[in-house]
Amino acid sequence: MLPSLKHIKVQLKVLLLFISGQTGKLMYVMHNSEYPLSCFALFENGPCLIADANFDTLMVKLKGFFQNAKANKIESRGTRYQYCDFLVKVGTVTMGPSARGISVEVEYCPCVIANDCWNLLMEFMQSFMGSHTPGIPSVFGTKHDSIYSPADTMVQYMELFNKIRKQQQVPVAGIR
Amino acid sequence: MAGVPAVRISIESACEKQVQEVGLDGSETYLQPLSMSQNLARLAQRIDFSQGSGSEEDEPGSAGRAWAEAGADQHEEEKFQPSLWPWDSVRNNLRSALTEMCVLYDVLSIVKDKKFMTLDPVVQDPPPAKQNPQFLQLISKKKSLAGAAQILLKGAERLSKSVAENQENKRQRDFNSELLRLRQHWKLRKVGDKILGDLSYRSAGSLFLHHGTFEVIKNTDIDLDKKIPEDYCPLDVQIPSDLEGSAYIKVSIQKQAPDIGDLGTVNLFKRPMPKSKPGTPHWQTKLETAQNVLLCKEIFAQLSREAVQIKSQIPHIVVKNQIISQPFPGLQLSISLCHSSNDKKSQKSASEKQNPEDHLYVLEHNLHQLIRECHKQTLSSTVMPHPASAPFGHKRMRLAGPQAFDKNEISSLQSNEGLLEKIIKQAKHIFLRRRTARTIDSLASRIEDPQIQAHWSNINDVYESSVKVLITSQGYEQICKSIQLQLNIGVEQIRVVHRDGRVITLSHQEQELQDFLLSQMSQHQVHAVQQLAKVMGWHVLSFSNHVGLGPVESIGNASAITVASPNGDYAISVRNGPESGSKVMVQFPRSQCKDLPKGDVLQDNKWNHLRGPFKEVQWNKMEGRNFVYKMELLMAALTPC
Repeated sequence: MLPSLKHIKVQLKVLLLFISGQTGKLMYVMHNSEYPLSCFALFENGPCLIADANFDTLMVKLKGFFQNAKANKIESRGTRYQYCDFLVKVGTVTMGPSARGISVEVEYCPCVIANDCWNLLMEFMQSFMGSHTPGIPSVFGTKHDSIYSPADTMVQYMELFNKIRKQQQVPVAGIR
Repeated sequence: MAGVPAVRISIESACEKQVQEVGLDGSETYLQPLSMSQNLARLAQRIDFSQGSGSEEDEPGSAGRAWAEAGADQHEEEKFQPSLWPWDSVRNNLRSALTEMCVLYDVLSIVKDKKFMTLDPVVQDPPPAKQNPQFLQLISKKKSLAGAAQILLKGAERLSKSVAENQENKRQRDFNSELLRLRQHWKLRKVGDKILGDLSYRSAGSLFLHHGTFEVIKNTDIDLDKKIPEDYCPLDVQIPSDLEGSAYIKVSIQKQAPDIGDLGTVNLFKRPMPKSKPGTPHWQTKLETAQNVLLCKEIFAQLSREAVQIKSQIPHIVVKNQIISQPFPGLQLSISLCHSSNDKKSQKSASEKQNPEDHLYVLEHNLHQLIRECHKQTLSSTVMPHPASAPFGHKRMRLAGPQAFDKNEISSLQSNEGLLEKIIKQAKHIFLRRRTARTIDSLASRIEDPQIQAHWSNINDVYESSVKVLITSQGYEQICKSIQLQLNIGVEQIRVVHRDGRVITLSHQEQELQDFLLSQMSQHQVHAVQQLAKVMGWHVLSFSNHVGLGPVESIGNASAITVASPNGDYAISVRNGPESGSKVMVQFPRSQCKDLPKGDVLQDNKWNHLRGPFKEVQWNKMEGRNFVYKMELLMAALTPC
């Protein structure tokens, strides 16, 4: 196991988007250090946009259409391990100054179709997570055989962060 | 045509009478046309009696003219009066002509009488006396020839003068024509009354901050009275003072200098300047040398900037005109800028003893090529033209955001290796290649059996070379060719691909390669026995590449093989190790051993045909020039015919 990189962080900013005439929808703007030049913008059940890093400045200019939701910034920061074809990222989820939980991301790099390698991933996770191994993520619920994209990673992170946010202050480790 | 109605055509004569006046009521009064006699009178008036038809000669003509002039004067006076009668002038002219003729007649009749008037001819010069016609011809010819010669001589003199003038001009070589020649090679511009030129690489894409301007000056210090020297040029160039002399980049690999305080010694030696082509003018060589100095300065500036900025495990040292780095432990790579000016002072000190083999010309050439590639990068089509809002860089980088490139993909797009890193990698590879070659050669010269051959590939990369190593026994190359290694020499590692498919990665250590080759050589001997057994008809009883018995080898493992003769009587057992050498034992049948303890276990005589104890062969006393030959002889000796 060689730690190949340090200080990997996944950052989430929650913005509240106001669309005139309708109730405001939540739009999440996320940054992932694995894709350093990209910015992800996604809705809850809607589309996910992968954009250039200049998207942030664009959002600043669109101040008239949205406002920042309260408790808006969540971050997961940790170490990235590369073990042959597997990528394991263990991070601490912090909201402001307080730590809220731990996030573990496991990636099997060679495969792009989730269904094919889910069993292998589960076996790998069981080797070090034991009973905490999660079930298959909901992102793959509908599309079993479509190609995995970075947007799917961000959707999973968003769900995890939402789950952590809705918990109470007492930190219960929420692992996916 | 038949159905067309007829068209009326009316005809009128064109000769109309001239209108004299138009009355108030519109009626016209016509001039009466001239009658026949009036017409004739008009025409007669037009006759000029002073001019006769045909050849009109002197006296009558002049007389007629005089009369005509007199008549004209009369007519001029009469002009004020209206002409009385159209035939007036005609009559006057005729009358005057009659008078003339009468006078002439009278004079001729008087002269004919010869009483009162005679005709006397005018005295003329007597004709010259008739001379000898030949003498006359000679003199006339001589005169004419002299005249022609004079003209020709004048022309020839003029021609020779112009030719001499042309030659003078050529030697003087007009300043403007020389300037034209200069412009064909270098960029010039006029600033005020000075002519400046540019010898930097800025237009080729360089970003070095040196102005690189030279000045063109007229060479006026010539004494026209004295003879113009052969290499006179009316044009001279003045290059900036810091680009004078010649420079080159010296790249060398040495064993590490033990004393770090020894640095700072400027190790330059004056490399003899390359001879310029005989036809080039002196300003061309001067400018080219100055440009080379500028390029070397740019290379060194770029290298030293990178040496300071880029963080590496072992930091690079930049001292004066040297950059020192450590590609491998115990090894030192030094890149220095050697700039020698043309003064007399430095030429004296240039007699230092230098080691020209030390200098890696290939790397110097590669440095020049790399910096030129950097220049081209700034001018490449991926940079220009580009949208005003996009940052500089590869066009693919604009997709990095929307397509979520990860770090591997981004780094593959960006070439983030600097000049120094590239040249260090190249130096490492060159060093590793040289050392590998040296290792193989030293082994080949030291060990005769088995033989080691190296076939180097002609096609190399700056970072990779390959060599094929064959281990064979002399005389048995076709039989024993199981050890063939392909070595791929990289920047820091050597990758060995074995014939049986194994891939082994060796580090840069020399000892590793040597040990590996020695172990392969010992394995070859045992493999050779196996192949020989096939040929000789012996049976292989056991074979192992790495035996676990016997003394432990420090390099690799020992291998062993046991073969039995065709009729089973004898068996040969060989153990070969890289360090321990070869040990050969022969197993004899029991019936041939005399000193066997007789026991009660074996009752039957048939057991005596089995093979019994082993006996070692004194291998160094065997005949044969190499191991396989000896083995063949042994096998042949043990095979009864």
